[in-house]
Amino acid sequence: MKAIQSLDNAIEVYNLTKYYGDLLAVDHISFQVRQGEVFGFLGPNGAGKTTTQRMLTTLLEPTEGRIVIFGHDLARDPYPIKRQMGLVPEESNVYTELTAWDNLMFTARLYRVPRSERAVRARELLETFGLWEKRDVKVENFSKGMRRRLSIAMAIIHKPTLLFLDEPTPGLDAQSARAIRDLIRRLNAEGTTIFLTTHQIEEANQLCDRVAIINHGRIAAIDTPERLKAAFRRVQSVEVALEPDGQAHGGGLRALPGVTTAVKMGDKWRLYTEDPSALLPHVVRYAEKHGLRVVSLSTLGPSLEDVFLAITGREVGAVRHDTAARGGEQGAKGRRGRR
Amino acid sequence: MNGGWLRRLRDELAQAWVIVVKDVKVYYLRPGMIMFGFLMPFFMFFSFSVRREMAAAQGIARLLALTTFFTASAAGPFIIPLERRLGTYDRLLAAPMSLLTLLLGKTAVGAFFAIVVSTFTLLVGVTAFGAIVAHPGLLLAGVLPGAFAFSALGLIFGSIPTRNPGDVQMPSTLLRWGLLFISGVFIPLEEMAPAARAVAYLSPLTYAQDLMNHAVPGKGLLNPWLDLAVLLAAGVLFLVPSLRLHRRARRLGR
Repeated sequence: MKAIQSLDNAIEVYNLTKYYGDLLAVDHISFQVRQGEVFGFLGPNGAGKTTTQRMLTTLLEPTEGRIVIFGHDLARDPYPIKRQMGLVPEESNVYTELTAWDNLMFTARLYRVPRSERAVRARELLETFGLWEKRDVKVENFSKGMRRRLSIAMAIIHKPTLLFLDEPTPGLDAQSARAIRDLIRRLNAEGTTIFLTTHQIEEANQLCDRVAIINHGRIAAIDTPERLKAAFRRVQSVEVALEPDGQAHGGGLRALPGVTTAVKMGDKWRLYTEDPSALLPHVVRYAEKHGLRVVSLSTLGPSLEDVFLAITGREVGAVRHDTAARGGEQGAKGRRGRR
Repeated sequence: MNGGWLRRLRDELAQAWVIVVKDVKVYYLRPGMIMFGFLMPFFMFFSFSVRREMAAAQGIARLLALTTFFTASAAGPFIIPLERRLGTYDRLLAAPMSLLTLLLGKTAVGAFFAIVVSTFTLLVGVTAFGAIVAHPGLLLAGVLPGAFAFSALGLIFGSIPTRNPGDVQMPSTLLRWGLLFISGVFIPLEEMAPAARAVAYLSPLTYAQDLMNHAVPGKGLLNPWLDLAVLLAAGVLFLVPSLRLHRRARRLGR
């Protein structure tokens, strides 16, 4: 494939392929990331996300294909490109025997940040991340969230124009996760291009200008979150909470005309349908017929998670129904757009 | 153009030094480093030297060769797999510097530890046992290139793509012990049978021990310039397999 390079693109990937022995991990993928955008790279475990990111950050050699970053071929001379990159891997790779300050100063020296700027930037970052008071504490005494924040601070101390983040928030408390998402938005507003590898679909929905969904090593879809959702209207739904004992009416609700799947979501039922407006009167009539009070009733557009599940070949309702049957609510984590 | 290359060279040397300082801070008190790097040469020395008649200078020359060899070659097989496991090695691999710079930095870490332990050994030998160094210049010439060469040797094992230091400790220890017994440390070269001596000449430790023998008691067998040349060449040659193993790891994704 002939590469058509554009100065507007931060990353251009052509025909990128990676084999581990006989195992094809990344299968001839091509995509572009524009300068200044937050680009989400989504996929289930083992889909090829981290492998792709490791190839983009020079940690892994592609079997085939070409990577161009800011107009430079990564295979020819990675040195000038590496200076513009920051990398936050999935594991917070900080030096636990060193203090937060020493970790930052080490990274600043490694990236040849001018001597006069190192201390100023380190202080700014430690204050931004709420770690200034702990600057002289060894990182082995830090919580997971603090280590994560320090890891990000280390990745941006040299002011990279392209930042790779691999699963930045899983395992963090809500406050730390929100702080990191806010930081990603701020860095992006300041002009940093962000390549976000995640399986947190709602996070990608909130943060990303565009997302690519990778499955079995191939790009299955690539577009803005809203366009992807619009392309999957068949996963629209009606969510209804009924009293008393609305949870016992799954079978009845599932039998209503137009319902493809019914999924229990806590004290509510989510009824998947291609035409929510046609289903609403049926739901109301069902409640009246059985002497039930409608506590809440709303129509929902497809979420990015629905799109993701549909693209990656997992039945939207089936997966969630299993979860509901076990009494869990894991399928209901994402916030959905109300129409 | 030249200015660009000079700046790049200056940057890379500075980055190698940054790695040395960081590794010294992080690893000098790690149990693996203390055991295999700092204590092992002394155990070895006392195991094979106690109750044998030996002049202080001869004993110090032997101990200096042991500490330089063992301490320098212990760092690579311990530090790099550990860093791979903790994910911190990726930080170094992703940094804007060449692989050679990274390996030079890691080699210098082992050499630094060896120089410190050798200096301690020498101070004890001189102050407590009254050893006299016949040729201090040769001692310096033996310790510095020797430490670098043996650290580069250890780095080969550290470059094996694994995240578990235990995977490389056994083969590296086997090789190091093997070299120890064939290299004229415990049996002087002049007392060896011709066949054993021919094998000894294949080991860089032989030349380090011979330089120490020139330097401290003043009685070496080979030309000290030959000893020095072999150690310098070994230091450079030992980096080649490390470079290849790192490239292989980058292909394999380990």
